[in-house]
Amino acid sequence: MTFRLTCPVCGKRDLYEFTFGGQDRGPRPEQEGLSADEHFRWVQFRMIPGGMGAGEDAGPRAGGQGQLQHEWWYHGQGCGVWFRTTRDPATNREVKDGGGEG
Amino acid sequence: MNWLRLRRLWHPAPLKRRYDTVIIGGGVHGLATAYYLARTHGIRDVAVLESQYIGFGGSGRNTAIVRANQRTPENVRFYAEGLKLWRTLTDELDYNLMFFNCGNLNLGHSEAALNGFRMAASTHNFLGVRSELLDPQQCAELIPGLDISDRPAFPIHGGLYHPPGGIVRHDAVVWGLAKGAAAHGVHIHQGCEVRGIDTEGGRVTGVRTSLGRIGCNRLGIMAGGYSTAVAAMLGIELPVHPLTIQATVTQPLKPFLHHVFSSGAYHVYANQTLKGEIAAGAHMDPQVNYTTDATAYYLKHQAEALVDLMPALSRVRFMRIWAGLADMTPDMAPILEGDLGFGGLYLDAGWGYFGFKSGPVAGKYMAEYMATGERPDILRTFQLKRFLENRYSGETAAVMKYGHWD
Repeated sequence: MTFRLTCPVCGKRDLYEFTFGGQDRGPRPEQEGLSADEHFRWVQFRMIPGGMGAGEDAGPRAGGQGQLQHEWWYHGQGCGVWFRTTRDPATNREVKDGGGEG
Repeated sequence: MNWLRLRRLWHPAPLKRRYDTVIIGGGVHGLATAYYLARTHGIRDVAVLESQYIGFGGSGRNTAIVRANQRTPENVRFYAEGLKLWRTLTDELDYNLMFFNCGNLNLGHSEAALNGFRMAASTHNFLGVRSELLDPQQCAELIPGLDISDRPAFPIHGGLYHPPGGIVRHDAVVWGLAKGAAAHGVHIHQGCEVRGIDTEGGRVTGVRTSLGRIGCNRLGIMAGGYSTAVAAMLGIELPVHPLTIQATVTQPLKPFLHHVFSSGAYHVYANQTLKGEIAAGAHMDPQVNYTTDATAYYLKHQAEALVDLMPALSRVRFMRIWAGLADMTPDMAPILEGDLGFGGLYLDAGWGYFGFKSGPVAGKYMAEYMATGERPDILRTFQLKRFLENRYSGETAAVMKYGHWD
């Protein structure tokens, strides 16, 4: 099943109106004193929370710290706004995290 | 009626509390590694842990296409060896893997695409792998029904034909490897979900599972699209994005499509199965996730692409749709690594959508790596540290590129 995301301007819209902008990694690390290793880790390496989303009866999920992912989306086929939201990679659904600017 | 009696290919073994080697993931990669560990290297104290049933993940969800027309010499060599294994494995396992050596045709829809084909064909031919450039007329001769006129949204400018490729029955590969591995003493435990990994003094010592703790000296993470979640148990970050990729089959038709064809511009690949169905993919959803959700959006896209390329398919019905996980890396090459900061820990992941065709050959070399502790030369190019040294594989320039991801 597809799902909907909440655009801060347009409200709930179909997934395929949006472009995934990747995990919200926080601000880019300071350039001063940044090693190549740290830089590439920040650019490419991820901990994707979640795990088996094989069904309701699947056991406790494996995965990293926390089960939710904060991420960026772009409403390219709508109003064109970039926004942040929170989603559960194990179920694909958007989760209300209260207080987020998304 | 003796011939009707079904014989089990392999029997479940009692779960031991300790194995020399534990492999997480009962797919093609995990089973092949276990098989070669036991058969070639004499390491028989091996358990394969599968949280669902063998072949549940990508191994049973791909479109069964095998080929070696990659872009970079390192990858071409690796996949070319993989292609040769299907023939020998069928004999070795005494199990018909139904390798159908029908060849693959990649369609190019621009002059730039044809230039890419020329470069790829040169690389393939240089390495002794057959590939040749075809003009649109030759494409239509290979695949009757292909619309080579100016009508389609992306008219066909030519093709890259790769005769050594084809399709293999993916379930048979899983079952055959399980049969072979079990015959050599490997224990396969289905419904055994790994929930944690124990380490001591910088070495892996065992796994915590839904069936209790299992000790081990060596651990292989070969969980396909779920590898990122398993690696996360040890706090290991990977440059891998699990994305769903969707596929579908149509109602069965008389045999008319005798080759695999694919098009990067349309995001479609298709072949006719031995049952007569047109098996087709691929749409990749953009957001990382661990689901196997299929969508109506994909079905519409798939129908449009197939019908634009081959108008005769316009009234054919889809029968089934499904999705599986593809573990995408930034450079479209896999990660085969034994240097992850924990002694005895090995990783076989990041296959993108190349995981099925590489299963046996990856298993062969991962078994050598795990048995000897020495990285086989052919795996040097697939080290994890390439991502930290800005030495990405050039595989993203491959002619078959079906999408983009974060």
